[in-house]
Amino acid sequence: MAKFVITVNGRLRTIESADPDMPLLWVLRDRFRLTGTKFGCGVGVCGACTVHMDGEAVRSCQVPVYAAARHRVTTIEGLSPEGRHPCQRAWLEEDVAQCGYCQPGMIMAAAALLARRRPTDEKEIEASLSEHVCRCGTYTRIRRALRRAMAGREGR
Amino acid sequence: MIATRRQFLKAGAAGGAALALRIPLLGEEPRTRAMRFAPNQWLRVARDGWITLVIARSEMGQGVRTSLAAILADELEADWKTVSVEQASPGPEYEDMNTGGSDSVAASWALLRKAAAAAREMLLEAAARTWKVDREACQAASGWVLHAPTGRKLSYGRLVPLAATLPVPAQPALKDSKDFRLIGTRVPRIDGPAIVSGRAVYGLDIRVPGMLFAAVARCPVPGGKAARVDASKAKAVSGVRGVVPISGGIAVVAGDSWAAFSGRDALRVAWDEGPNATLTTEELWRRLDEAAAHPTHVSRNEGDVDAALAAAATRLTATYRDAFQAHAPLEPMNATARIVAGRCEVWAPTQNPQRVQKEAAALLGIAPDKVTVHVTLIGGGFGRRLSADYATEAVELARAVKRPVQIVWSRKDDFEHDRLHPAGRVDLEAGLDGSGRITAWSHRFTTFHLSMFGAFNPDEVEQPDVNPWGGYDNPYAIPNLRAEWTDVESPIHTGAWRAVFYPPNVFARECFLDEIAHRAGRDPLDFRRKLLSGDFPFAMRKVDRSELRTVLDLAAAKGGWGTPLAPRAGRRSGRGIACNVYHGRTLLAHVAEVSVGGAGDVRVHRIVTATDCGQVVNLSGLEGQVESGVAWGLSYALKGETTIRDGRVAESTYRDFPVLGIDEMPEIEVHVVASGKPPSGFGEQPVPPVAPAVANAIFAATGKRVRKLPIRPADLA
Repeated sequence: MAKFVITVNGRLRTIESADPDMPLLWVLRDRFRLTGTKFGCGVGVCGACTVHMDGEAVRSCQVPVYAAARHRVTTIEGLSPEGRHPCQRAWLEEDVAQCGYCQPGMIMAAAALLARRRPTDEKEIEASLSEHVCRCGTYTRIRRALRRAMAGREGR
Repeated sequence: MIATRRQFLKAGAAGGAALALRIPLLGEEPRTRAMRFAPNQWLRVARDGWITLVIARSEMGQGVRTSLAAILADELEADWKTVSVEQASPGPEYEDMNTGGSDSVAASWALLRKAAAAAREMLLEAAARTWKVDREACQAASGWVLHAPTGRKLSYGRLVPLAATLPVPAQPALKDSKDFRLIGTRVPRIDGPAIVSGRAVYGLDIRVPGMLFAAVARCPVPGGKAARVDASKAKAVSGVRGVVPISGGIAVVAGDSWAAFSGRDALRVAWDEGPNATLTTEELWRRLDEAAAHPTHVSRNEGDVDAALAAAATRLTATYRDAFQAHAPLEPMNATARIVAGRCEVWAPTQNPQRVQKEAAALLGIAPDKVTVHVTLIGGGFGRRLSADYATEAVELARAVKRPVQIVWSRKDDFEHDRLHPAGRVDLEAGLDGSGRITAWSHRFTTFHLSMFGAFNPDEVEQPDVNPWGGYDNPYAIPNLRAEWTDVESPIHTGAWRAVFYPPNVFARECFLDEIAHRAGRDPLDFRRKLLSGDFPFAMRKVDRSELRTVLDLAAAKGGWGTPLAPRAGRRSGRGIACNVYHGRTLLAHVAEVSVGGAGDVRVHRIVTATDCGQVVNLSGLEGQVESGVAWGLSYALKGETTIRDGRVAESTYRDFPVLGIDEMPEIEVHVVASGKPPSGFGEQPVPPVAPAVANAIFAATGKRVRKLPIRPADLA
């Protein structure tokens, strides 16, 4: 059992007596009560648990807490102060969510994509999100929301 | 109730919503009667004008909290910006909370409109009395009552004390549909802001003071049990608080989910796998095939099918099959329970809170009113969460450990202990006369009993449903028509799955019709049109076939039926059409544009949908359900299936049970026939015609007839 320090949503957080292999997902959800990061599969396949680590989209179920220590982690709760990130706004404007359970992961993946560089076309967007599962099938609107978020950035 | 309400209020704090939301200063609503107007169980108006609408159906992505709220708000003439919703818990005031069968809007439409209209009438009456004017001269609009002759107005909030003293009218006048302001528009999801900011509360997000987390080792083979358990290593896992046998397995209770899973992994259990230890998909199919020869129930029988078949110039037969399917909702099964002083609380992402209440009460031996069920948001239901198994398990464990506890299912647990859509086969036979007209049609459906709804009993004809949905309500005018059903006892857990029996039967019916049309050298659309005059029976009603013809024509026109498809290099392209009437009400048709590559790989490029589902409540929701239903139908037609090996489900992730991805999502177009009928339900309806529209398009593209789902490239290469 060990102690780890992680910067979560801009705050330095300490986790005491954790199994070093405990995935970041469960640290966030059960220790820090940040339940916006979702548990979907636990094996890195569905993407529901996507968060940012040092700005990169990672699957928090595949990041053991020891590997997250001393890194900067952003969750959906910390993506923007008032839920006003361009992706969050675009998701609302396109009325994307159905059950909504996959959407925090989708938004975090999209936000990382937008922050990194401008995707050249829809194919690139699709490639980046094709490893995320939405069982409700909201893909049509996710595409539209992404385009809207990208267009908003161009207009800035 | 607390959780979902709190989550909703937090959504307001997150901003970004189409709704402005109230953040109560003291965290609670005014409670005295004088402070609020609550004419019935469905709504409350507070003195400050804020309106609480109560939703008694479960939100699982179909948008029901938004559509039911829109019905109430519209009829009430409330300002949408001043409403919030509250999730109901089971109690005597809520008759039917079961969220299944695409029935929530249809069954609530008249009920909620009447409830809201009564409140509106009372507010009007209160204003008329205040002003001492004729009530007929008063008008309600956007949270105000107006008196046009004098230009006076009073807010709903101001009218609360007086309205609360008035009698509730028994037959209030309902609005004319031309005056709807919300109903029929695109109403953004009420839960949207909470969802995109991560504040939405699903079952797994429930946190109760002092709660523990648990994972349960269950025998992977249904009917098996633990023979020997060595818990020493599990107990040694840091964070594990105990190992507790319960009726469904061995629970490992811990301080967090990870410790619970780790502890469970460390359990050594020798299973007595019981009689199903060697069960395979092939063995299950052998049982189905054997039973198919001897139908047990006749659901519809018109004319004399056998005589007409004997007299037919041509007889055609075909057998269609589908596969076992998992629900695979993204939120795995879970529930949280707390038992204190003879009272039980359950927090569950459930489609059926009344069943949870009843089963929890029975388990604990207490009265149902001692069990409070808090319905959380649901991370995908699709029928799986009509069952209460995952909730009663938490109740049992909470009783055993005397602490609040959340049982977390892993993804593998969720696949392994699903209530599967059972594989089924449909045997069809048609007789044609010399001119290619269908004179006889026999439809036999054989599938496994849905254990979710109770034990198998072949002598019981009323429960479960013994009607082959899609077969006994065949919409086509065929003079001699018979639909039969055979129910086979299921050794594995089975249950309702989005659209239940429609997908296999509509797949078979619509493809077989396509086969016959091609055989007769006729256009599949035109062939269907000629069979759509007069009416057909459903339950105690008649369904006008011309309404389906209208829907087919609209889909065909918008989908470019009969026009050439743009060629795609190295691929063969085709269009297919299919339609269905769901429970005699919602009518829907899809036109699919498909291409098939040299390796037999199928791409669905475009789906054009037309529907008559009565009054549209939320257009955005309706379009979303088409998108969702198409994605679901394409996963069913082209992607994963559940297989049984050594008595257990072989798949454990979305890798071996793939579902449709964003790169496979076709373009979708939705067209609505405005029929003026009441709303008739839409959550499942787009699913059934997807697979046959695609299979018919594949035939148009390749000349290959697919009779088995899911379709594999090898079938088409």
